Amino acid sequence: MSFIEVRNLQKSFGPLEVLKDISFDVQKNDVMAIIGPSGSGKSTMLRSLIQLEQVGGGSIRVDGDYLVKDGIYTNPADSKTINSKMGMVFQQFNLFPHLTVKQNLELAPKLVKKEKAGDYGHRSIELLEKVGLASKADELPSRLSGGQKQRVAIARALMMDPDILLFDEPTSALDPQLTKEVLQVMRNLAEEHMTMIVVTHEMEFASNVANHVIFMDDGMIVESGTPDEVIKSPKEIRTKRFLNYELSK
Amino acid sequence: MSYEYFMSMLIPMLEGAKATVLLFVIAIVSSIPLGFLLTLAVRSSIKPISYLAQTFIYVMRGTPLLLQLLFFVFGLPLLPVIGEYLVFDRFVAATIAFILNYSAYFAEIFRGGLLSIDKGQYEASQVLGLSKWQTTVRVILPQMFRVTLPPIANESVSLVKDTALLYAVAVPELLHYAQTVVNRDFTIIPFFIAAGIYLLIAFGLTVVFKYLERKLQYD
Repeated sequence: MSFIEVRNLQKSFGPLEVLKDISFDVQKNDVMAIIGPSGSGKSTMLRSLIQLEQVGGGSIRVDGDYLVKDGIYTNPADSKTINSKMGMVFQQFNLFPHLTVKQNLELAPKLVKKEKAGDYGHRSIELLEKVGLASKADELPSRLSGGQKQRVAIARALMMDPDILLFDEPTSALDPQLTKEVLQVMRNLAEEHMTMIVVTHEMEFASNVANHVIFMDDGMIVESGTPDEVIKSPKEIRTKRFLNYELSK
Repeated sequence: MSYEYFMSMLIPMLEGAKATVLLFVIAIVSSIPLGFLLTLAVRSSIKPISYLAQTFIYVMRGTPLLLQLLFFVFGLPLLPVIGEYLVFDRFVAATIAFILNYSAYFAEIFRGGLLSIDKGQYEASQVLGLSKWQTTVRVILPQMFRVTLPPIANESVSLVKDTALLYAVAVPELLHYAQTVVNRDFTIIPFFIAAGIYLLIAFGLTVVFKYLERKLQYD
């Protein structure tokens, strides 16, 4: 059974249909890249998975449980359980500016999972080491570069021990140098078989790290397959046009 | 001017300053939380609550504080039927008027503070599984408080000066005693002393708020 199963997802903002009949599957240990032009609905689709957007129709099933079935959401308690299996990393990092790096990591384990200080204190240092920022544990986010902020955000998401990480254009706010250090962290996660869905404009990452690529345009999945299929030899004219544009940048 | 004479002016004025400070302290510690509750009421999804709060804020900010003071001290007891139960000590009635008036201003300040907080903060809290309450208390409030400190400091200084309005409802406070000595002795000095005491309080507040701003700095 697929870890995430999306069927006939549909969403409108007023008269504007942003998601039109989206269906796909994510398996455990998949790294799925979602590419497509701005306004294609890829971020909305990702945000729908973790209930930052409400969909108008279709189904989302996570680890066997329906978050939404034929447009009807499950009860708040169950949806909370389902959402807790997913972590999310935002384009704008969304760190808590009034808390230190370490406190950013520890807030949710402390409040949500009611962990003991010994447990989360240990893990936060471990994870900061993993993203190369143990020395910044007691700094405020305002003292960090964009790349460092995003690495902290990844560590913060990992603190909740999610089964899957969702990335919403994680490097779009960063310059090329900082992009590199964030992609490296994501690459390491992929090597450890972390399940990930990544909305991205980084074609290099999509080609080399992802094992599955979805090209979206105008609220629909236009093409889907391995990186070789979608990026190296796209079949659809819209995919070709988009890739020509992206790769010429 | 002899030391004794100076003290004979200062001592009663300090007595009056007690009322000034007491009103200030009660009003500030009550109207800040009340103002925040008002902000929450305005943002409530229950429409009647929201409209009620908005109307309250509109009325309190749209009418003179002096009118409200006179209303609470002298007006309430004149209400038919319930009026006889609304006879308070003048200081108490005036304090209620101050609390209600200032809570409306603080509500507007907090509303602005909440608007300044990025929606990404709510989203990050949600995906981490924080409850609404945890998000408000641990994520939003600390940031809102930091953002609103300068306007809160500003309102506080205004409040210190507005306590002088007690004069109009015959509650003895700092200015009242100053005016008494001026009338008695035909001297202008008590006005300077009163000004000095107001400035001293304002200075103390400025120091406290500057300290808080530095302490809560995070950007």
